[in-house]
Amino acid sequence: MTSLKELQESFQRGILAGDDTILSEIKDSAKEERTVLFGVYRHAYVARLAELLADDYEQLHAYLGDAGFAKLAKSYIAAHPSNRKSARDFGRHVPEFLKTDAGFSKHPELAEIARLEKALADAFDGPDAEPLALAKLAEIAAELWPKLVVTPHPTAIRLTFTTNASDIWSDLHDGNAPPPARLLPEPQAILVWRQDVTARFRLLGPEEAMMWDEAAASTRFGVLCEMVATYGGEEGADFRAASYLKDWVDMGTLAGCRLL
Amino acid sequence: MAAAKPPFLGFGLGLRPQHYGEILAGSPAVDWFEVLSENYMIEGGQPLRMLDQICERYPVVMHGVSLSIASTSPLDLDYLARLKALAERVNPVWISDHLCWTGVHGVNLHDLLPVPYTREALDHVVDRVSQVQDFLGRRLTLENVSSYVTFGQSEMTEWEFVSEVAKRADCWLLFDVNNVYVSAFNHGFAADDFLNGVPRDRVVQFHVAGHSHEESHIVDTHDHPVCDEVWDLYRAAVAHFGPVSTMIERDDNIPPLAELVDELEHARSIAREVLARPLVGNPRLAAAE
Repeated sequence: MTSLKELQESFQRGILAGDDTILSEIKDSAKEERTVLFGVYRHAYVARLAELLADDYEQLHAYLGDAGFAKLAKSYIAAHPSNRKSARDFGRHVPEFLKTDAGFSKHPELAEIARLEKALADAFDGPDAEPLALAKLAEIAAELWPKLVVTPHPTAIRLTFTTNASDIWSDLHDGNAPPPARLLPEPQAILVWRQDVTARFRLLGPEEAMMWDEAAASTRFGVLCEMVATYGGEEGADFRAASYLKDWVDMGTLAGCRLL
Repeated sequence: MAAAKPPFLGFGLGLRPQHYGEILAGSPAVDWFEVLSENYMIEGGQPLRMLDQICERYPVVMHGVSLSIASTSPLDLDYLARLKALAERVNPVWISDHLCWTGVHGVNLHDLLPVPYTREALDHVVDRVSQVQDFLGRRLTLENVSSYVTFGQSEMTEWEFVSEVAKRADCWLLFDVNNVYVSAFNHGFAADDFLNGVPRDRVVQFHVAGHSHEESHIVDTHDHPVCDEVWDLYRAAVAHFGPVSTMIERDDNIPPLAELVDELEHARSIAREVLARPLVGNPRLAAAE
């Protein structure tokens, strides 16, 4: 008798690789042949995973259309059999897959739309943390501000896009026709995070993006002001740096601060 | 391990994100909720916040789909640790999963795959259930799955297999009425034989659900209202097992909450009629367990 281990391996190969060896272990029913009955499992595997991908990448699905998305799902499922307990983790390689697949990578906006959707999903159920309150910053004496270091909210994710994928995503999300895909003259910095229970993203200008990245790397506020001055001009540099910081606090992108 | 059989909770629903707002805003006629364990094995955000609020107001049971109790690959200790951590947060009345396997060699096929009803598989499952129960420090509840194939090597019926697992591993059973109906149709056995073949004192929960009929076979899709034939089998199950915590399971084409509450009311009326006395879940009893 085939052992349980061998039976399960054969059953799995039958689903993943179309191997028919398992059919010799299965009986026809009174009403149906074994190939059709085993086919229920083969079909369910692909259908369920394709549905998971469509749930996770809703705007990418809208952008590609049913046929285009089905093609993506089929090749992704073949390339990445699921090895995680959580169904939500199954689609985690989609952005990378779109970036490296010979066919899909010709349309760089696809990987970036997927990257944005994945970042929003990750932010949605990322770790909880109380956002930094403006009142806490107000307690810090003016002469100590140069030593101030802030901590990003644990759900914050920084992205840099080369295409107008964020515009495409926004239009699709709002039910509008998306603009034609195009490469941007300069890379676009994006910040994704969760505000209360809603995952959001925001486009950052080059100066703000530079300051965010430095702040996230625990650079002190005094040094950040100098960097902003170097980046965008000395005039009003401290004010610009303070404005960015206040915006971040208002939007809940920070979780804490300390003096270093 | 605690010996007392879990209490009768009354009539419950599977907790689905689409209904969070309605549940918390109103007081739907739902006695308890079943939550999908894997959906809450996350770090934070709205799902966990909603879960905490539901747990404050209702008895909750946890239902998983990834334990893979019958797999011949080693138990996933990381998954078990996360399941245990979630149980500490939720304090569920019981924890259930399926009598099936979901993959081998690290692959998860995200399906509830059938087990051959052999003595070898029985020994294997009993040993695994014992390991899981030792790890969790509580009894596990196992559900019979819908299946589409019959293995030539099977040496006993499904109900004999299920019953032996429950007795030897000392675990509870979740009697899925729809799955019994589906498997009975697919394999040509009498659903009543299954019903009568399962030990009465082991069954702590019923699932009632809809399915898709493909003429030569039925697929367990949970995307339709419960059909008359499944209600008939539910009626027979209540008559046989007595008051058992009952739940409507809907995973796809999820309707407004009110529609599921109506379906649940139908289950309640059947149980009331069969047992000829009012049945009321006792959340206080559940909380005290």
